[in-house]
Amino acid sequence: MQYDRFIRLRRPLWDAFEVRLGRLGRGDGGRGRRVRGAIVDHDELEELAIGYRQVLHDHALAAARFPATGAAERLRRLALDGTHRLGGGADETVRRGGPIAFFTRTFPRAFRAQLDLLALAALLFAAAAALGLLTTAARPGLGVAFIGEEARSGLAEGRLWTEVLTTLPPEATSSSIATNNMTVAITAWAGGATAGLLTFYTLILNGLMLGAVVGVALHYSMGGELGAFIAAHGPLEITIILVAAAAGLAVARALVAAGDRPRGEALRAAARSAVTVLLGVLPWLVVLGAVEAWVSPEPAVPAAAKVALGLALVALFWVAALNPFLPPTESDDAEAR
Amino acid sequence: MGDEIARETVLGIDNIPLELPVAGLGSRVLASIVDYLAVMLLAALLGFVALGVASGTGRAGLGWLVFAAGLFLLQWGYFAAFEIALGGRTPGKAAVGLRTVHRTGGAAGAGALVVRNLMRAVDVFAAVPMIAFDPLARRFGDHLAGTLVIHARRAARPVLGRVPPRWGAREVALAESLLARAGELEGDRAARLAHQILAWIERDAPEMLAAAGDPATRRAAPVEALRRALEAEPG
Repeated sequence: MQYDRFIRLRRPLWDAFEVRLGRLGRGDGGRGRRVRGAIVDHDELEELAIGYRQVLHDHALAAARFPATGAAERLRRLALDGTHRLGGGADETVRRGGPIAFFTRTFPRAFRAQLDLLALAALLFAAAAALGLLTTAARPGLGVAFIGEEARSGLAEGRLWTEVLTTLPPEATSSSIATNNMTVAITAWAGGATAGLLTFYTLILNGLMLGAVVGVALHYSMGGELGAFIAAHGPLEITIILVAAAAGLAVARALVAAGDRPRGEALRAAARSAVTVLLGVLPWLVVLGAVEAWVSPEPAVPAAAKVALGLALVALFWVAALNPFLPPTESDDAEAR
Repeated sequence: MGDEIARETVLGIDNIPLELPVAGLGSRVLASIVDYLAVMLLAALLGFVALGVASGTGRAGLGWLVFAAGLFLLQWGYFAAFEIALGGRTPGKAAVGLRTVHRTGGAAGAGALVVRNLMRAVDVFAAVPMIAFDPLARRFGDHLAGTLVIHARRAARPVLGRVPPRWGAREVALAESLLARAGELEGDRAARLAHQILAWIERDAPEMLAAAGDPATRRAAPVEALRRALEAEPG
């Protein structure tokens, strides 16, 4: 076929397809659905689908018969645009149902699927904390590396280093704590891509720090005061860091032990589930930031109330995360994995 | 001529191959530079906003809250938010003509874009070597999300409406390339090349020269004459 005849015959189709595509946003088909402000009815979608097929075929012909020409370039661009606009990832993740469905169905399903890894993360953390505690119990000087000399001397004088929080505006403290914790959670999650090495490091380091801090406080007979400070926010904060780390370990597991599936497919499936878990826990850190700024350092709040609040928050989180009203199904578990 | 852009071939409808021109390290670094400059600028603006909130309300803590929350959202949300809103493009990617797509060529979903951008926590250390050595220039985030970054700049190549009967794809491509780049060529190089192609037209289809104008017009403005003879329209 002569080049100019090819252009004359087919150009109107390309122009029509380009116009239709320009009116469409990211389309996912449907019957009279609104897509980015444009009502897309069935007939329009059918025309788009036919036009897309025609453009693809013309693209193949032009690439073979008229390579490197303007028509071939235009058709390549149209084919790519059409594929981009009309096609989508087959393995789409959280999409349907909105925030309520996400927190009541999608997140709990993904959370349940990684309980074994949560247990592993908790074990690692507890072991590191025990090691930190035993080490500083035997050698209190080592704990100074974690809390600093100023805090140590404060402990010796009967003051917790956390008292400085009461001198700062609570909004500032709350936001700093919340964003810092979110960054730690995201890092623990993302560390799964390093075959879990960064995740393990985060877990062990934070466990060691907690154990060492408790050990130093106990050495200076300030264990009760420290316990009262962390009672309100500590249990949930540790839980969320462990959950985020477990999500990272899920990615690590897919990386090193993909099972029967191709490693890339296993990784993508694990990442989908893991990001669902991460996005499900991040909002809790906003709550924790507020508790750590307004409740934990406040001497007027009794210790018993802080303990009760801490336990209530953890219980609420577990109920929300497990959603006992959601019946598990085999397909849901497989999808979450 | 060697093609330096890696290409991933995906199969579309009816198994028609579609080549995705994968963006390499240079383009992606350039796009990242533009984006991080934008982030720094936005962070500076955020600082002013936070100062304004603090002084306007008389509460320094509130200003700090605005700054801390805004900075966190910038750090973790800038890339994902833009890519979701702009169909795979950030301002940096748009400036360089790149786009993030699903590995099959379709639009990447919001979840995938969130995954690939949260993975920056690790990719900040490993992205450059990974992109440099991966055959499709993927970093950790791209592997986990199943995405690719491709060149998506619109080419401004004209499409010819008339060609002499004996011309093949090579002659067509040459004429179109000249018409697209005539303004960039030095000196009278474009004019000389246009004269050459007009001579081919005179040899192969002299009747087409009628649209190009009389010989004096063709001598004075050969590129325009060529454009008229071939009925070149913007691609």
